Amino acid sequence: MSRIGVFVCHCGLNIAKTVRVSELAEFAATLPDVVVAKDYKFMCSTPGQEMIAHDIKAHRLDRVIVTACSPLMHEQTFRKVLAASGLNQYLLTIVNIREQVSWVTHDIDEGTAKAKALLNGAVRRARLLAPLTSRVIDVNSDVLVVGGGIAGIQAALELANTGKKVYLVEKNSTIGGHMAQFDKTFPTLDCSACILTPKMDSVLQHKNITLLTSCEVSEVKGFVGNFDITIRQKARYVDHTRCNACLACTEKCPGKAVSEWDEGLVKRKAIYIPFPQAVPQKPVIDRDACTFFKKGKCRLCEKVCEQKAIDFEQQDTFTTVKVGAVIVATGYDLMDTRALIQYGYGKYPGVYNALEVERLFNSAGPTGGKVTLRDGKEPQAIAILHCIGSRDKNNYEHCSRVCCMYSLKFAHLFKEKTSADVYQFYIDMRAAGKGYEEFYNRIIEEDVKFIRGKGARVAQSADEPDRLVVEAEDTITGKFIRLPVDMVVLSPAIIPRGDAKDIARLFNLSTDRYGFFMERHPKLAPLSTMSEGVFIAGVCQSPKDIPDTVAQANGAAAEALTIVVKDKMELEATTAMVNPASCCACQNCVRVCPYGAPFFNEAKGVSEINEALCKGCGLCASVCPPSAIIARHFTNDQVLAEMEGLLEF
Amino acid sequence: MAISFEQIEQNLKTEARKLLESGKVSLVLAYGRGYDENHPMPYVAKHPSDVDNIVFNEYCTANLARYLTRYPRRTKIAIAAKAADSRAVVQLIQEDKVCREDLVVLGIPVYGMKNFKTGEAIDSKTTGGLSNPVLYDILLGEEVHGQPVSSPYDVLAAYEAMDKEERWAFWQRELGRCIRCYACRKACPMCYCDPCFIDQNKPKWGEKSPESPGNLMYHLTRFHHLAGRCIDCGECSRACPVDIPLYLFHKKVAKDCEEMFGQAAGMSIGDKPVLVNFRVDDSDKILE
Repeated sequence: MSRIGVFVCHCGLNIAKTVRVSELAEFAATLPDVVVAKDYKFMCSTPGQEMIAHDIKAHRLDRVIVTACSPLMHEQTFRKVLAASGLNQYLLTIVNIREQVSWVTHDIDEGTAKAKALLNGAVRRARLLAPLTSRVIDVNSDVLVVGGGIAGIQAALELANTGKKVYLVEKNSTIGGHMAQFDKTFPTLDCSACILTPKMDSVLQHKNITLLTSCEVSEVKGFVGNFDITIRQKARYVDHTRCNACLACTEKCPGKAVSEWDEGLVKRKAIYIPFPQAVPQKPVIDRDACTFFKKGKCRLCEKVCEQKAIDFEQQDTFTTVKVGAVIVATGYDLMDTRALIQYGYGKYPGVYNALEVERLFNSAGPTGGKVTLRDGKEPQAIAILHCIGSRDKNNYEHCSRVCCMYSLKFAHLFKEKTSADVYQFYIDMRAAGKGYEEFYNRIIEEDVKFIRGKGARVAQSADEPDRLVVEAEDTITGKFIRLPVDMVVLSPAIIPRGDAKDIARLFNLSTDRYGFFMERHPKLAPLSTMSEGVFIAGVCQSPKDIPDTVAQANGAAAEALTIVVKDKMELEATTAMVNPASCCACQNCVRVCPYGAPFFNEAKGVSEINEALCKGCGLCASVCPPSAIIARHFTNDQVLAEMEGLLEF
Repeated sequence: MAISFEQIEQNLKTEARKLLESGKVSLVLAYGRGYDENHPMPYVAKHPSDVDNIVFNEYCTANLARYLTRYPRRTKIAIAAKAADSRAVVQLIQEDKVCREDLVVLGIPVYGMKNFKTGEAIDSKTTGGLSNPVLYDILLGEEVHGQPVSSPYDVLAAYEAMDKEERWAFWQRELGRCIRCYACRKACPMCYCDPCFIDQNKPKWGEKSPESPGNLMYHLTRFHHLAGRCIDCGECSRACPVDIPLYLFHKKVAKDCEEMFGQAAGMSIGDKPVLVNFRVDDSDKILE
């Protein structure tokens, strides 16, 4: 016999518009064990909370049901009310009649009926709830940052400056990410390397940062406060503890491969550093391009290395680090525009993608900063095509957000470095950002020609075979135009890294339909994920510019800090346990648990659950054939009672 | 038939005696005489002198893998295994219920086994379309080849021709006849839970009296628990005293599972149990 109080929230008109709330409260009063039922305009307000606290005392309640919004919003609020009134917080039940009822119907009869069914189930379940005790666990104070672009660098530095130890994992042989490829940054046109390389160097020098380049996360165990992360150190074939970065090896090396750093515009050596300011500035061997690995002889680098740092026997190694929180900042790729054959990328040498052009402008790039075509000539007319593959129902519907601005930057740099005519083919200009509109106006003044119309096709010119023609509809004049140019720059859709899916799987992140990592809440928790203790920053979440990326990185660092700044943290008490008398030792629980909490006790012949690792997701309970696993707070009895209550309607 | 039942029986006895005499195993799971020779029974030989009681004939359909999980882990066991039985052994190894190194599998390549109740040949219905064991240490004869190749799922044709309502009516009718003797559960090598969910009282998953709702709860849940694990030996259906064609449901689920995840139960000890193993490229069809 329990004493249940039911509190029905109107949420202004959010709920009251499509649920007859007073009728719901009257209905609640008729249900078994319900001793008080009330409705109120805003249950989460101070008077609302005080009403619940008062009734707990006045009616000696031992269960409280609040029918209101999603438990994600106010479960904690009402739990505190219970705790302050001397009730165990797990004796609270939230019935979500807003997101799951009032917001999904326009029909007040339908809404009221569904709310009654949910409440009927909740009352049946509430009677069986048991008080639970939260667990307190130790928190590891270190943080893992995945991805060494500007987002990862910024987050790592911020955290390291607070005194926390940071592991920065980067899969390439240097940190820097895409920003290190750029020449100038919009809208201020300051030199990208000049603002980035000091940060890269700070990472290297910082006593609190362990920089792990050529590394990938291969396994994630545990959860918030206590992650066990296995990191694969890929073989570099160069012992970085011995190498003194004299780079004699890179001069002698006969092996060649396309330079990823220069977007394939030039070749690099098989033993190489990607670019002059690389951090760490120590070479690695590209096994696929190395003459020794391919043909079995060469070893020239080994001969010239005075430090005896070359080690062809090196193998991948695995290390495990323990951290309390994780920041994922894995960045982006550009869409492969070869699939869009109408633009001729990969077919016509005059067609470039945006990152290639970044390298053309860069003084450390393949042309030393001169803008020349692949045949060495200077272009006379250049077309920049916006929204290639993005804002496109056939490919990616999202706006890549930075293309308008970098296209303006390109126009400016083309004007500065060549005497070419520059044309922008755009759908509409999106210059929302501090100083962006001003930058747009400045570029208009610079005699750049703006054609409002998406580039439809790039073809070889019939009259001059070494030139190209851009076809488009100018939507201002309504005329179809064919513009002869020497160079076409495509602004491709920005998409998540090719291996973002693997990262999502490792860290249990959800992704949107394009593969960008999902935030916990688009407005109020934009850096958190559904995986507690794992935060996201930068373009891996959605396309954004450098200022926003850096702001997110700082935010993610602060979020991570809120976890690792504490020695201990309280965890939900809703863990699972095994009833050994019923366990059939099938070990399904061991196989399905994403957190590695269940293990098989060979001596006893039954599965057991390490509660420190259990997140209470309930997967094990659902795959346990003899229902030997009890998910606390969601026991079979409780769930079945709730279902029976629901199905009475 | 590449080899006669008598020869298989002789080979089985020879190998069993060798294994027991050498002490390599502490017991041999085989068949012994029942109340007459058409009704052989599972038989456990624990001593070389027990070996003379071993028999093998066309009615030795029982799946002896059923008994593997009855012994403490690490017991050294030799088991006589026909094609489907060997799949059960493999599936149990996958599920870590038994260890490969504790087993000596005496593989029996055989064709033409018969249902002891009806005398009907069972090959086309319930052997997974296989004649040869998928795993063995010693093969008691030569592999069988040249038998008509039939898909294990051909027998589903009439069942699949039914629409949803007809299938529901079919199973309500068939399962309504169940007398809840649990012979299917006893015969099944994959039914090793103790206690079975249906025997539990808190929560009580279904009524225990032989009436329709409880019968449906028992059987449908059992079908579900065997999804991706049933190795198509057909013992449940042969054990059933009221002849409910349980194998039809198991086969249908096995077929769906194989189509969706590209894996049949108990075919390779390298496989992982398919429904509790997530792969990124898994089909989402199951959610539809």
